[in-house]
Amino acid sequence: MKKDIGDILARIDTLNPVPQVANKVMAVSKDPQSSMGMLSEIIQYDQALTANLLKAANSAYFGLSKKVDSLHQAIVYLGMDKVVDLVLLGASSENFGQAQEGYDLDSGELWRYSVSSALIARDLAEKKHLDDTHAVFTAALVKDIGKVVLSQYVAESFDKINFLVSKHGFSFREAEKGVLGIDHAELGGMIAQRWKFSEKMVDIIQHHHLPMEARFETEAAIVYLADTLCMTMGIGVGSDGLAYRFQKEVLNRLGFTDRDFQEVIAGFGEQIAHVEDLIGAS
Amino acid sequence: MKVSNDPEAVLVTYSLGSCIGIAVYDPEVRVAGILHFMLPDSSLDPAKAGKKPFMFADTGIPPLFKEAYQLGAKKQRMRIVVAGGAQVLDQQGFFNIGKRNHMAVRKIFWKNKAMVSYEDVGGNVNRTVKLAVKDGSCLLKVSGKGEFLV
Repeated sequence: MKKDIGDILARIDTLNPVPQVANKVMAVSKDPQSSMGMLSEIIQYDQALTANLLKAANSAYFGLSKKVDSLHQAIVYLGMDKVVDLVLLGASSENFGQAQEGYDLDSGELWRYSVSSALIARDLAEKKHLDDTHAVFTAALVKDIGKVVLSQYVAESFDKINFLVSKHGFSFREAEKGVLGIDHAELGGMIAQRWKFSEKMVDIIQHHHLPMEARFETEAAIVYLADTLCMTMGIGVGSDGLAYRFQKEVLNRLGFTDRDFQEVIAGFGEQIAHVEDLIGAS
Repeated sequence: MKVSNDPEAVLVTYSLGSCIGIAVYDPEVRVAGILHFMLPDSSLDPAKAGKKPFMFADTGIPPLFKEAYQLGAKKQRMRIVVAGGAQVLDQQGFFNIGKRNHMAVRKIFWKNKAMVSYEDVGGNVNRTVKLAVKDGSCLLKVSGKGEFLV
């Protein structure tokens, strides 16, 4: 018998409602006239966010030779784009640190997965010359927010879900939908809506496993690809294993070759220690 | 990559995905080693392989064995466990890093006459390998199946 979806949806309100800052920052970043002053205006009253931003800016990931101790310096040394990403990182972190029992992810693992997906997605978006890399970065960062809510229900029904995956060829997402009546991507889209994320963000999050059905197909395809690369590297993979569908046509659409795929893995593997430092600092 | 003869040590390689973990153990000298590599062939990027040889099968596997030999291990006595190489559903040969990683191990082992004692490779599951130096006990954790001795 399927769970009462209302029960699951009611739990959305137990999440930390932080992303208002993220919305404002993304709006500012889209404005060609955006300036340090506007960004500063948004985050100046949030000391924790500013402190996190500076900690992340000083992580080995960026390899700065000088210590950054103000928002102004961070923008001078890293550029507005990276600073915006770091603000988005800080604004999103709170919901992702806990262990997720249903997915067998220890504390910190979902966050490692989120940050890794976001960094890879941003690189891919830059290679594809997308205008709005921040939306792709943030969507990749928070795409699995549905798992945070769904985790306890997955834990309760894990045997049924796993039976559909291991015996009937379902993907894990399809099995979630079959057993619980809703899957983590669909739920993630609803959460993004509740948080008043843009239509584009909601669409990407909702379709991160089914990018061909997305309205913002290229953006969703990039987030999907970043997710697939993370799974291949074993990042954020838990009880769901790698039981998600590979969609060759998505990669064809992006013009992404087998060699590109391996090069991203090698590039990420090379700087993994620096990425870990950023994850620890954010 | 890590090789040790410290009886207190437990060598672990977490969450392999399509990567492959190789655990080796010589019970006579109690030397253990573990390698976690990501890609089959260093020709993809020789410069990166120079800096991070353990990222690739062909540049990662030889030093694992060489370092174990330096601590007195012998290939003939070694127990070798291979795990990982999973794939996303419906991959059908495209971008199939897991399968190619496994093929790379088989090729290198065949050339060097190394015999695999236990193998848990492929499928859509995630794996973690733990190897205790004191007795060579090897624990494999497989998503959906739990943890068991191999």
